[in-house]
Amino acid sequence: MRAPTAAELMTHPTVRQALEEAWVDSLAEDPIHRHEEGGWIYMSIPSGEILIRRAPSGIQSEIHLDSPPIIADAVIIGVFHTYPNPTAEGWDSGPSEADRRADERDGVPDLIRADNGIHLSGPKRRRGGLEGGPGFPP
Amino acid sequence: MATAIGQAASAARLSCDQALKIAREDGEKVYRDLSRFDIRVALEADGWHVDYILKDDRARGGGPHYVIDPLTGGILSKRYEQ
Repeated sequence: MRAPTAAELMTHPTVRQALEEAWVDSLAEDPIHRHEEGGWIYMSIPSGEILIRRAPSGIQSEIHLDSPPIIADAVIIGVFHTYPNPTAEGWDSGPSEADRRADERDGVPDLIRADNGIHLSGPKRRRGGLEGGPGFPP
Repeated sequence: MATAIGQAASAARLSCDQALKIAREDGEKVYRDLSRFDIRVALEADGWHVDYILKDDRARGGGPHYVIDPLTGGILSKRYEQ
Protein backbone atom coordinates (compact mmCIF):
# COMPACT_ATOMS: atom_id res chain seq x y z
CA MET A 1 0.00 0.00 0.00
CA ARG A 2 1.29 3.49 -0.85
CA ALA A 3 0.22 7.00 0.04
CA PRO A 4 -2.30 8.42 -2.47
CA THR A 5 -1.27 11.35 -4.60
CA ALA A 6 -2.94 14.73 -4.34
CA ALA A 7 -4.69 14.05 -7.64
CA GLU A 8 -6.02 10.75 -6.32
CA LEU A 9 -7.25 12.41 -3.13
CA MET A 10 -8.96 15.10 -5.14
CA THR A 11 -11.20 12.54 -6.84
CA HIS A 12 -11.82 10.31 -3.82
CA PRO A 13 -15.53 10.44 -2.85
CA THR A 14 -14.86 10.77 0.88
CA VAL A 15 -12.46 13.64 0.31
CA ARG A 16 -14.76 15.34 -2.19
CA GLN A 17 -17.60 15.15 0.28
CA ALA A 18 -15.42 16.61 3.05
CA LEU A 19 -14.36 19.46 0.79
CA GLU A 20 -17.92 20.28 -0.16
CA GLU A 21 -19.13 20.14 3.44
CA ALA A 22 -16.30 22.45 4.45
CA TRP A 23 -17.21 24.78 1.61
CA VAL A 24 -20.86 24.97 2.71
CA ASP A 25 -19.80 25.57 6.31
CA SER A 26 -17.52 28.42 5.16
CA LEU A 27 -20.55 30.61 4.40
CA ALA A 28 -18.90 31.94 1.27
CA GLU A 29 -22.06 33.82 0.29
CA ASP A 30 -22.05 35.81 3.53
CA PRO A 31 -19.61 38.74 3.29
CA ILE A 32 -19.57 39.26 7.05
CA HIS A 33 -19.38 35.69 8.34
CA ARG A 34 -17.46 33.88 5.61
CA HIS A 35 -14.45 32.07 7.08
CA GLU A 36 -12.04 29.25 6.38
CA GLU A 37 -12.86 25.64 7.22
CA GLY A 38 -10.67 22.59 6.85
CA GLY A 39 -9.27 19.45 8.34
CA TRP A 40 -7.09 16.40 7.92
CA ILE A 41 -7.21 13.35 5.67
CA TYR A 42 -6.02 10.05 7.13
CA MET A 43 -5.44 6.58 5.77
CA SER A 44 -6.07 3.57 7.98
CA ILE A 45 -3.02 1.36 7.68
CA PRO A 46 -4.84 -1.95 8.25
CA SER A 47 -7.73 -1.28 5.88
CA GLY A 48 -6.68 1.51 3.53
CA GLU A 49 -9.87 3.39 4.40
CA ILE A 50 -9.82 7.17 4.04
CA LEU A 51 -10.87 9.03 7.21
CA ILE A 52 -11.62 12.70 7.74
CA ARG A 53 -11.33 14.87 10.83
CA ARG A 54 -12.36 18.53 10.84
CA ALA A 55 -10.32 21.31 12.41
CA PRO A 56 -11.77 24.16 14.47
CA SER A 57 -13.20 26.87 12.22
CA GLY A 58 -10.79 29.49 10.99
CA ILE A 59 -11.41 33.16 10.35
CA GLN A 60 -11.79 35.24 7.19
CA SER A 61 -8.42 34.36 5.67
CA GLU A 62 -6.65 32.14 8.16
CA ILE A 63 -6.90 28.65 9.66
CA HIS A 64 -4.75 26.41 11.83
CA LEU A 65 -4.13 22.84 10.68
CA ASP A 66 -0.91 22.25 12.58
CA SER A 67 -2.33 20.23 15.52
CA PRO A 68 -4.12 17.22 14.08
CA PRO A 69 -5.78 14.63 16.32
CA ILE A 70 -4.05 11.27 16.38
CA ILE A 71 -6.03 8.28 15.08
CA ALA A 72 -4.75 4.85 16.08
CA ASP A 73 -3.34 2.84 13.17
CA ALA A 74 -3.83 5.72 10.73
CA VAL A 75 -1.49 8.31 9.24
CA ILE A 76 -2.19 11.74 7.81
CA ILE A 77 -2.00 11.73 4.03
CA GLY A 78 -3.36 15.20 3.34
CA VAL A 79 -5.00 18.34 4.63
CA PHE A 80 -7.76 20.43 3.15
CA HIS A 81 -9.20 23.86 3.65
CA THR A 82 -11.33 26.48 1.99
CA TYR A 83 -10.77 29.89 0.46
CA PRO A 84 -14.21 31.42 0.99
CA ASN A 85 -13.44 34.91 -0.29
CA PRO A 86 -14.61 35.59 -3.84
CA THR A 87 -12.19 35.79 -6.74
CA ALA A 88 -14.64 38.22 -8.37
CA GLU A 89 -13.69 40.72 -5.66
CA GLY A 90 -9.99 40.31 -6.35
CA TRP A 91 -9.13 37.55 -3.90
CA ASP A 92 -6.33 35.23 -4.95
CA SER A 93 -7.37 31.57 -5.26
CA GLY A 94 -3.85 30.15 -5.51
CA PRO A 95 -1.96 28.92 -2.46
CA SER A 96 -0.67 31.76 -0.29
CA GLU A 97 2.95 32.05 0.78
CA ALA A 98 2.00 30.91 4.28
CA ASP A 99 0.10 27.93 2.88
CA ARG A 100 3.04 26.84 0.76
CA ARG A 101 5.41 27.18 3.70
CA ALA A 102 3.11 25.21 6.01
CA ASP A 103 2.53 22.52 3.40
CA GLU A 104 6.25 22.09 2.87
CA ARG A 105 6.75 21.88 6.64
CA ASP A 106 3.94 19.38 7.21
CA GLY A 107 4.85 17.17 4.25
CA VAL A 108 1.42 16.23 2.92
CA PRO A 109 -0.70 17.49 -0.01
CA ASP A 110 -3.08 20.36 0.67
CA LEU A 111 -6.39 20.51 -1.19
CA ILE A 112 -7.87 23.99 -1.26
CA ARG A 113 -11.52 24.54 -2.22
CA ALA A 114 -12.09 28.00 -3.69
CA ASP A 115 -14.99 29.43 -5.66
CA ASN A 116 -13.27 28.56 -8.91
CA GLY A 117 -12.40 24.96 -8.09
CA ILE A 118 -9.92 22.89 -6.13
CA HIS A 119 -6.27 23.95 -5.97
CA LEU A 120 -3.31 21.86 -4.87
CA SER A 121 -0.34 22.83 -2.75
CA GLY A 122 2.47 20.97 -1.06
CA PRO A 123 4.11 17.68 -2.00
CA LYS A 124 2.57 15.31 -4.54
CA ARG A 125 2.01 12.72 -1.80
CA ARG A 126 2.86 12.21 1.89
CA ARG A 127 6.59 12.70 2.35
CA GLY A 128 8.34 9.37 2.92
CA GLY A 129 5.28 7.25 2.19
CA LEU A 130 3.14 5.70 4.89
CA GLU A 131 6.03 5.19 7.29
CA GLY A 132 6.78 7.41 10.23
CA GLY A 133 3.87 6.84 12.55
CA PRO A 134 0.70 8.83 13.12
CA GLY A 135 0.40 12.54 12.57
CA PHE A 136 2.40 14.40 9.96
CA PRO A 137 5.43 12.66 8.48
CA PRO A 138 8.77 13.21 10.20
CA MET B 1 5.33 46.55 13.10
CA ALA B 2 6.50 47.97 9.77
CA THR B 3 10.03 47.48 8.51
CA ALA B 4 11.41 49.33 5.49
CA ILE B 5 14.02 47.15 3.81
CA GLY B 6 14.93 48.91 0.57
CA GLN B 7 15.77 52.29 -0.92
CA ALA B 8 15.85 51.63 -4.66
CA ALA B 9 13.88 54.53 -6.13
CA SER B 10 15.67 57.65 -4.98
CA ALA B 11 13.29 59.88 -6.95
CA ALA B 12 10.30 58.81 -4.88
CA ARG B 13 7.99 61.59 -3.74
CA LEU B 14 5.79 59.36 -1.71
CA SER B 15 7.09 58.73 1.79
CA CYS B 16 7.09 55.33 3.44
CA ASP B 17 4.36 56.49 5.81
CA GLN B 18 2.22 57.68 2.91
CA ALA B 19 2.62 54.35 1.15
CA LEU B 20 1.67 52.54 4.34
CA LYS B 21 -1.41 54.72 4.74
CA ILE B 22 -2.59 53.95 1.21
CA ALA B 23 -2.10 50.23 1.74
CA ARG B 24 -3.75 50.28 5.15
CA GLU B 25 -6.83 52.11 3.89
CA ASP B 26 -7.37 49.55 1.15
CA GLY B 27 -6.49 46.59 3.35
CA GLU B 28 -8.89 47.56 6.10
CA LYS B 29 -11.76 47.72 3.63
CA VAL B 30 -11.12 44.15 2.57
CA TYR B 31 -9.64 42.41 5.64
CA ARG B 32 -11.25 44.67 8.27
CA ASP B 33 -8.69 43.82 10.97
CA LEU B 34 -5.02 44.05 10.02
CA SER B 35 -3.68 43.56 13.55
CA ARG B 36 -2.81 39.92 12.91
CA PHE B 37 -0.23 40.90 10.31
CA ASP B 38 3.31 42.21 10.35
CA ILE B 39 4.07 44.72 7.60
CA ARG B 40 7.07 44.55 5.29
CA VAL B 41 7.81 47.71 3.28
CA ALA B 42 10.43 48.05 0.55
CA LEU B 43 11.05 50.78 -2.00
CA GLU B 44 12.00 48.96 -5.18
CA ALA B 45 12.48 49.98 -8.80
CA ASP B 46 8.78 49.61 -9.59
CA GLY B 47 7.44 51.29 -6.46
CA TRP B 48 6.68 50.79 -2.82
CA HIS B 49 6.06 47.15 -1.99
CA VAL B 50 3.83 46.79 1.07
CA ASP B 51 3.26 43.23 2.22
CA TYR B 52 1.10 42.12 5.13
CA ILE B 53 2.52 38.89 6.57
CA LEU B 54 0.74 36.68 9.11
CA LYS B 55 2.30 37.08 12.54
CA ASP B 56 1.48 33.46 13.38
CA ASP B 57 3.89 31.39 11.34
CA ARG B 58 1.98 28.17 12.16
CA ALA B 59 -1.15 29.41 10.42
CA ARG B 60 -2.30 28.91 6.87
CA GLY B 61 -3.74 32.02 5.27
CA GLY B 62 -2.63 35.34 3.96
CA GLY B 63 -2.90 39.07 3.80
CA PRO B 64 -2.84 41.85 1.22
CA HIS B 65 0.17 42.70 -0.94
CA TYR B 66 0.62 45.99 -2.78
CA VAL B 67 2.88 47.79 -5.22
CA ILE B 68 2.30 51.53 -4.96
CA ASP B 69 3.46 54.16 -7.45
CA PRO B 70 6.20 56.19 -5.69
CA LEU B 71 5.27 59.35 -7.60
CA THR B 72 1.48 59.36 -7.76
CA GLY B 73 0.51 57.14 -4.85
CA GLY B 74 -1.67 55.01 -7.10
CA ILE B 75 -1.93 51.31 -6.40
CA LEU B 76 -0.14 49.64 -9.31
CA SER B 77 -1.00 46.10 -8.25
CA LYS B 78 -2.60 44.36 -5.34
CA ARG B 79 -3.09 40.77 -4.33
CA TYR B 80 -5.43 39.57 -1.60
CA GLU B 81 -4.12 36.29 -0.23
CA GLN B 82 -6.31 33.94 1.77
